[in-house]
Amino acid sequence: MISSSTLRRIVRGRESGTTFGLLVLCVGLWIATPYFATAANLSNVAEQSAVIGVIAIGMTFVILTGGIDLSVGSLVALVSVVIGSALQRGVPVFAAVAIGLLAGVVSGALNGLMITRGPLPPFIATLGMMSVARGAALLLSDGRPISGFPDGLRALATGEVFGVPAPVVMMLTLYLLAYLVLTRTVFGRYMYAIGGNEEATVLAGVNVRRWKTVVYAISGLSAGVCAVLLVARLNSAQPIAGIGYELDAIAAVVIGGTSLLGGSGSVIGTLIGALIMSVLRNGLNLLGVSSYLQQVAIGVVIIAAVLIDMALRRRVQRSSR
Amino acid sequence: MRATLSVRRFLVLTSALLIAGCNRGPDATARPTVALVVKTLNNQFFVDMEAGAKAAADSLGLELIVQAPEREIDVERQMQIIENLIQRKVRVLMLVPNGSKEIVPAVVKANVARIPVVVVDSRVDDGTLKAAGGTVATFIGSDNEDGGRMAGAYLIERLGRTARVAILEGVPGHETADARLRGFRKALAGSPAMQIVASQPANMERDQAFNVTQNILQAHPDITALFACNDVMALGALEAIAAAGKGTAISVVGFDAQDDARKAITERRMAATIAQNPREMGRLAVLTAHRLIHGESVPAEQPVAISLIR
Repeated sequence: MISSSTLRRIVRGRESGTTFGLLVLCVGLWIATPYFATAANLSNVAEQSAVIGVIAIGMTFVILTGGIDLSVGSLVALVSVVIGSALQRGVPVFAAVAIGLLAGVVSGALNGLMITRGPLPPFIATLGMMSVARGAALLLSDGRPISGFPDGLRALATGEVFGVPAPVVMMLTLYLLAYLVLTRTVFGRYMYAIGGNEEATVLAGVNVRRWKTVVYAISGLSAGVCAVLLVARLNSAQPIAGIGYELDAIAAVVIGGTSLLGGSGSVIGTLIGALIMSVLRNGLNLLGVSSYLQQVAIGVVIIAAVLIDMALRRRVQRSSR
Repeated sequence: MRATLSVRRFLVLTSALLIAGCNRGPDATARPTVALVVKTLNNQFFVDMEAGAKAAADSLGLELIVQAPEREIDVERQMQIIENLIQRKVRVLMLVPNGSKEIVPAVVKANVARIPVVVVDSRVDDGTLKAAGGTVATFIGSDNEDGGRMAGAYLIERLGRTARVAILEGVPGHETADARLRGFRKALAGSPAMQIVASQPANMERDQAFNVTQNILQAHPDITALFACNDVMALGALEAIAAAGKGTAISVVGFDAQDDARKAITERRMAATIAQNPREMGRLAVLTAHRLIHGESVPAEQPVAISLIR
């Protein structure tokens, strides 16, 4: 197994690359447009990054264990609709959110069970769940958006804590929690170990099946939190919400330097990855760049980020020899 | 180490080029900036709207930013674009909403920033907007009821005031198709010899239109005209009519002026279709934005003419 000091060095190396990328981007935009580096715009960017940022937490855990979760976008829709129909039936906000989050956790755990108790690879199991959850969301809502909710829910999107938008506070709190879980708990160590060498981890006596199921349940939960944010922002629960979010989340994780092969990466990197995507989109909007070119630019950044990641990994390997 | 440096250099260069290439210096020109946010730019309708808006902006000396989410259904992304453009301090926001209720929070944010909102083509839900305390400056779009009326008037003229008519309705309760239907029925109401013998929903879908038309032809083999609330259904009806060997015995009129429908009209398989004018919508939106910047008042509703293609 990898020693903890090597691990720390890898983590630090990865984050330095990603942070550097974010800084370059910010400085560039600061020079290019007077509208970027204003307090109002930076708070706006942070708020926008919360939607993908939150799902990317669960995705980081899944990818660290060497898996993938394609169902999160559909789970966002399913949880949205569950919350929406509960609210429509007069369920109080707190309970409706709790029921929705539970639906997310259960669906995620089902993914986990299919992968750990059955013969299904994560790609197939979650691809199936992607379709099942989308269909369920459409069935539950009759294909129509549900809208008009109490102010209590809206406050999750419109509220502020000491001037910081509520979604940002929520996202940062979750990242802090995820960071502590990954670096200070046994569960965190297990995730790296499973992704690094699953068989060795099983032989070491770790209940890999159980922990992997938990990881997918957490991914379902983070899709659920994203759904809460989305419903609060749009004041509407849409069965077609979240299409393509799984790919945005995977992109944030990869830009953040977590290896798709599992076993190495960090949640702080993912946060910076999500910020890079939001800053880039924000900047391209501010500059009035054509929508077509924006898609090209985002693709270029993903590829550049992975190139840096690979170069850094080579450096770490050389220096640890 | 060397590899890392070159990768970094690559990134710095790319970003620098990207930013330098895109930035035309927003403050270098004193021209006021306005923004048009459409549903998507993967649809010819909105690309045409963009072209109309660009031409108008150039002639009026306005800086125009056109943005759209990648997917037509992505309201959250459209909201983010609007939030970003509010930060960009555009003078007027022209908007084709992806969700008539969902976009309301974004409209309210523009209101708070004192940016007038010009709604184009698809309406913002009035009740939701009022409940949220938001306002829009004007609505620019086509009157679908008028389009239906135009289709009816054309059939009356073409068939010498006498016909047995079948109608393919849209999704029941869907405002756009309902308005077209209303207009068509009103046009025919004045000519008693134009007899509507069947009117059934085919949900805007081609295969359903095929089946429904086959059934109608079984019950009423003598119909001489058919109105479909969109071209997709009209094309399905054409197939059923051809399969029944009726050829050109039935005059089919559709709505939307899709390419396939235009082709069918040129080939004389279809009688006519109703065309909206997205280019004019774009032009009128920018014209309105210009008037708003100069403090002029604008009418709350600005209908855009539609035309008959035959």
